[in-house]
Amino acid sequence: MPNPQDFIDIGADVAGIREALARRRWLVIIGLGGLLVIAFGAAMILGDYPMSIDNVVRSLLSPLTGETQKGIDFIVLGLRLPRAMVAVFAGMAFGISGALFQNVLRNPLASPDIIGISAGAGTAAVAAILLLHWGGGMLALAALGGALLTAAAIYLLAWHQGVSPYRVVLVGIGIAAVMAAIMSFLFTRARLVEVQQAVTWLTGSLNGARMSDALQLGLELAIISIVLVPLSRAAGALELGDDKARALGSGVERARFLLLGAGVALCALATAVTGPIAFVALMSGPVSRLLLGPAGGAIVPAAMTGAVITLSADIIAQHSLPGVQLPVGVVTGGIGAAFLILMLIAANRTGRTA
Amino acid sequence: MNVLAFDRTTAPPQLSAEGLHLGYRDRKIIHDLSVSIPPHKLTVIVGANACGKSTLLRGLARLLAPSAGSVYLDGRSIHQMPTKAVAQKMGLLPQTPVAPQSILVADLVGRGRYPHQGWFRRWTRDDDRVVGEALALTGVADLGGRALDELSGGQRQRVWIAMALAQETGLLLLDEPTTFLDIAHQVEVLDLLTDLTRHQGRTIVAVLHDLNLACRYADNLIAMKDGRIIAEGAPREIVGPDLVRQVFGLTARIVTDPVSQTPMVVPMGRHHMAVAAE
Repeated sequence: MPNPQDFIDIGADVAGIREALARRRWLVIIGLGGLLVIAFGAAMILGDYPMSIDNVVRSLLSPLTGETQKGIDFIVLGLRLPRAMVAVFAGMAFGISGALFQNVLRNPLASPDIIGISAGAGTAAVAAILLLHWGGGMLALAALGGALLTAAAIYLLAWHQGVSPYRVVLVGIGIAAVMAAIMSFLFTRARLVEVQQAVTWLTGSLNGARMSDALQLGLELAIISIVLVPLSRAAGALELGDDKARALGSGVERARFLLLGAGVALCALATAVTGPIAFVALMSGPVSRLLLGPAGGAIVPAAMTGAVITLSADIIAQHSLPGVQLPVGVVTGGIGAAFLILMLIAANRTGRTA
Repeated sequence: MNVLAFDRTTAPPQLSAEGLHLGYRDRKIIHDLSVSIPPHKLTVIVGANACGKSTLLRGLARLLAPSAGSVYLDGRSIHQMPTKAVAQKMGLLPQTPVAPQSILVADLVGRGRYPHQGWFRRWTRDDDRVVGEALALTGVADLGGRALDELSGGQRQRVWIAMALAQETGLLLLDEPTTFLDIAHQVEVLDLLTDLTRHQGRTIVAVLHDLNLACRYADNLIAMKDGRIIAEGAPREIVGPDLVRQVFGLTARIVTDPVSQTPMVVPMGRHHMAVAAE
């Protein structure tokens, strides 16, 4: 048996290691924060009417200073700011949602855009457009309802004396396929104009983002984030597998239900505003985990990664081709597809089940 | 100053099961089983594959709800206790535990502090000290800053045991803690478990595959077949050719282990028989 003084020394080592991990975590968060500020600035400045930093700052501060610069205020406060804010909030919502799914289901491929939640929202929205000729707020509600109903269906179908992560993933992929089939069927019966509208929605776009959308999404994001704070401990326990988490005294079934519920709500609410922006939910968790290395707690970094990806992708989508504004989902789709392939190759190399 | 990990559980933990029925959906595995775990001892559960030994351990650890009967911890039904209160008294090492990718050893062992923390009580110096103790006791003190994925199987198993120790429970349940380990590491882990019972007064229940190591290390041996306990007691008192035949369906000769003076099972097969079977 070692002597008691050793314990104290080793305890100090343990404290040192913990502090190093915390430092790395803060570095990642600060670094991502810096990137987000840069992207946000670029989103304000770039465009058909390039703005000086000075004008942008004065316009952003105008609600406080009372200063008016008519044309500039319209472009900055009326167009660019809401668009960037929706990009940030939706990116955060998708990022957290993906990280929660991947954490709780212990599978890097298990994000809401792969296991059917986004497909459910999409099918409901396509049905609303093609069959009911809905748009705007009603369309958003249809997408929200579709996502929630699909999530409930997956949860119930995967239930078997509790919900095993593996079953959720398999059932989810099955549901995604069913939803794709329903969508294809709806498309074959639709008129071309409506199909175009539906496909645009399905790609995910920030065109026409309004300040009211941004504020609503930001509020929803804030509320769900507050709910998530006390659950973060349980999320850490779930990483160790159901048995170990239970042995540590964590209420596994309840924690999983609440964490997945929060993930579904975030994905559904963001999808309702922007449409399913492809792969942001899938990429954010793994990218932030790559940055974090051994330092855990990927949820906050995943939120920031999601925001950086979505905002940067939107800047690329708006300005990369002269005269053409692509939907943001086209760019995230391109980046995401490449990322997914790299992830699968890496998983294959290390022999881990992806 | 009191630094030794373990005087906090001076009252011996009492773990027992009464009329326990366990199973998965309509497959019944444990039938009407009653058992009482002797405190401060190393109890080893043995039996053939699929005899229900892991199921029993999961039942004792409240990972599996019984269809009838109950498990009692310190006189209270474990299923009616708050799960966190149970976790402060009983730790478990599952057969194949999973860890987040690239987690560091010190971080993983620190996760064992979970039941002692809460929304408001987060990490303290005391937690660091307990994790340090757990690392030292399992001989992995110098591995704290290494990633779990980089370690050998034997080191990894010690880290998992360290995590269970960091939970500071008087009772420890381990499901096949020596699987995947070579013989030297198996002996090492079992020596460690013996240290923990003898020097720290922990009560340990382990499921083991290797009958001879079980016979040597168990203070109390539980032999199971078809979801029932066939025999229970000190290996010297219960292990004989009849028990081995009954439990494993194997003809064997029992000799005395020249090192430990405990029973040693020498299996008899169809080949290499220089002596005739009885």
